[in-house]
Amino acid sequence: MAVVEINNVFKSYHDTEVEVKAINGVTLSFEKGDFAVIVGPSGSGKTTLLNLVGGLDQPTGGEILIAGHRLSELKPSELIDFRMDHVGFVFQSYNLIPVLTAAENVGFIMNLQKWPKEKRMTRTNELLTSVGLADRHKSRPSQLSGGQQQRIAVARALATHPEFILADEPTANLDSKSAESLLDIMEKLNHEEGMTFIFSTHDVRVMKRAHRVITLEDGKIVSDDVRK
Amino acid sequence: MKDYQLAWKNIWRNKRRTLITAASVFFAVFFALVMRSFQLGAYDRLFKNVIESYSGYLQLQHIDYFDDPNLDNSFEINQALIDQIRKDPNVTDIVTRLESFALAAAGSHTQGVLVLGIDPPGENKVMNIRNKLVKYKITPDAIEKIKNEQVSDHTKKLLDLFKGEAYSGETRLMIDFGISDSDSAEILPLIRRYASFNNAFLTGKETNDVVIGDGLSEYLKANVGDTIVLMGQGYHGTTAAGRYKVKGIVKLSAPDIDNIIVYLPIESARELYAAPAMATSAVISLKSNDDDDILQTGNRLKNMVSDPMTIKTWQELNALMVNQMEADNRSGMIMIGVLYMVIAFGVFGTVLMMMAERRREFGMLVSIGMQKTKLAKVVSLEMLFIGLLGVAAGVAGSLPIVFYGHFHPLRFTGEFARMYEDYGFEPVMPTMLPDTFYLWQIVVVLIILVIAIIFSSRKIFRMNVINAMRA
Ligand SMILES: Nc1ncnc2c1ncn2[C@@H]1O[C@H](COP(=O)(O)OP(=O)(O)OP(=O)(O)O)[C@@H](O)[C@H]1O
Ligand SMILES: [Mg+2]
Repeated sequence: MAVVEINNVFKSYHDTEVEVKAINGVTLSFEKGDFAVIVGPSGSGKTTLLNLVGGLDQPTGGEILIAGHRLSELKPSELIDFRMDHVGFVFQSYNLIPVLTAAENVGFIMNLQKWPKEKRMTRTNELLTSVGLADRHKSRPSQLSGGQQQRIAVARALATHPEFILADEPTANLDSKSAESLLDIMEKLNHEEGMTFIFSTHDVRVMKRAHRVITLEDGKIVSDDVRK
Repeated sequence: MKDYQLAWKNIWRNKRRTLITAASVFFAVFFALVMRSFQLGAYDRLFKNVIESYSGYLQLQHIDYFDDPNLDNSFEINQALIDQIRKDPNVTDIVTRLESFALAAAGSHTQGVLVLGIDPPGENKVMNIRNKLVKYKITPDAIEKIKNEQVSDHTKKLLDLFKGEAYSGETRLMIDFGISDSDSAEILPLIRRYASFNNAFLTGKETNDVVIGDGLSEYLKANVGDTIVLMGQGYHGTTAAGRYKVKGIVKLSAPDIDNIIVYLPIESARELYAAPAMATSAVISLKSNDDDDILQTGNRLKNMVSDPMTIKTWQELNALMVNQMEADNRSGMIMIGVLYMVIAFGVFGTVLMMMAERRREFGMLVSIGMQKTKLAKVVSLEMLFIGLLGVAAGVAGSLPIVFYGHFHPLRFTGEFARMYEDYGFEPVMPTMLPDTFYLWQIVVVLIILVIAIIFSSRKIFRMNVINAMRA
């Protein structure tokens, strides 16, 4: 069964006088273990598509299923819980809570899910090690580099074993070395934990690493290349 | 991590803003508490002065006496009623009075006076007039004698300044003369030696003795041992006249009474006015003078007395003063209201800024799965923490001042003191100890916080996560 099923989805905005069709009839599915990237020119609808898949926004037409659940059937507060349980998010920036330590940030969703302390600490340690920041437990986000912050965000997203992780341009604010190391980590987690990753990017390095590249243009899929 | 822990960490993300906001709440609470404490303390003092030196908390009166204070509106009082009233659980005592006006003459001086026939042993417990007996008087003679001893120029100046002043105790004397413990050794004995005043109070058995106010004694130039004549109209139009010896002189803190008061035993007064067994009022003193208790006691007593008698409360008896106090009280409250408005805007500004700054973070938190109710709870706790921090500091800061001011009241001296006395105030300003007015400040701050919490929670519930994160 597909982790994500997108059936003939439309999303248009009417903020201005002209209607903007940000997503214009997309049908697409992601399988468990995918390491997929969505590319396309600016304004092509990448962010919009990821927001729809993550349940942050509702389509104006069509349907999205995640692990068999229809997102349209969920009430707003159920949708929040659904995201907590099934979707991991890594944003371009402002991912972390500045007043919490790296470890506390990693543990945040486990905390929301009321994991017992022991289990939470074990998992946090494990994750901090696997993103290479075992020694930065007590650091605040402001004491970490941009790349380190993104790695903490990946660790947090991964902590509670979501169905997949959405990352909207996760390397956009990183230098190439940090970007490479973030990608290394995600690739490793994809391998080792079988975690499904769905990115959007402008970054050629990210595209090269992806196993599947989906190209959007004007809200439509123009190509979907599986490389492996 | 618990919500309150996260909230606590959050308030310190902008230390300066949190401290400034808490400090503004602190300032408002502190200022309001100290100001209210002084204001309420002053009212309390004023009431106590007037009530305890004159009206009492409850009075038994003829129903028309208050509007027409005339001897003809007096009532006959019997022992049975007195005993019945004494039995009330909140009543400690009841003392009868016969009060009327007369013209007092001594030598070539005359003065309209208030003649108060009292039950001296009873009044000693209620009004404690005996305590007001003049103990020292700075007479020209005394000044002369003290100046002949070796005293500083400063003391000499003070002696002239307080010439003619009468003191019923040493506390006030020491303050007027700026006597501190170290020089009391030198001056106080001199005052004790040369300015002591020979004085006595009524026992109730006298037939021709009176005690008069210091102001009146000055005016009539009548001293202890001198004779004064009282003339007036008696009960139902008879003529009243009598000669009396001044047995003692009292110093009352309210000068408008001090200047005209003549005390004599009630039996003498009844004889003077040809009004046997009559009383114009009976002052009822109470165990608890809490507003509610006074009201309830008054209601109970009303059921005991019959026409033409009635029970008046101190508020009714001192309506003018109560009104003035209420007007003053309102202006105080308005001032505090304005203060709190300013603070409310400050708190609101902080909330607005905080919400704007953390918009993306809020969007991120809800995106990754934090329920809006939980987020709103954390933010509300943050505001409560800041507000309560300010309140706690304000309360804590006010306590030393309020307690100190209560037990060591501000005491005015010189001209300022005189001005106070002219208005009938005793020139001290004790603060009021923490009472319900403390609770009110906390309630007001809580209301401000609740408004801030409602505002921020609404913003959170209406937040669109995508817009929040795009911002
Ligand atoms: N909230 C919105 N209101 C109005 N129009 C919107 C909104 N969000 C997106 N759009 C429009 O939808 C289209 C797709 O936007 P989207 O952000 O998905 O593009 P993108 O591919 O992520 O671009 P970029 O590479 O620049 O991030 C754009 O034309 C954009 O202007
Ligand atoms: Mg985008």
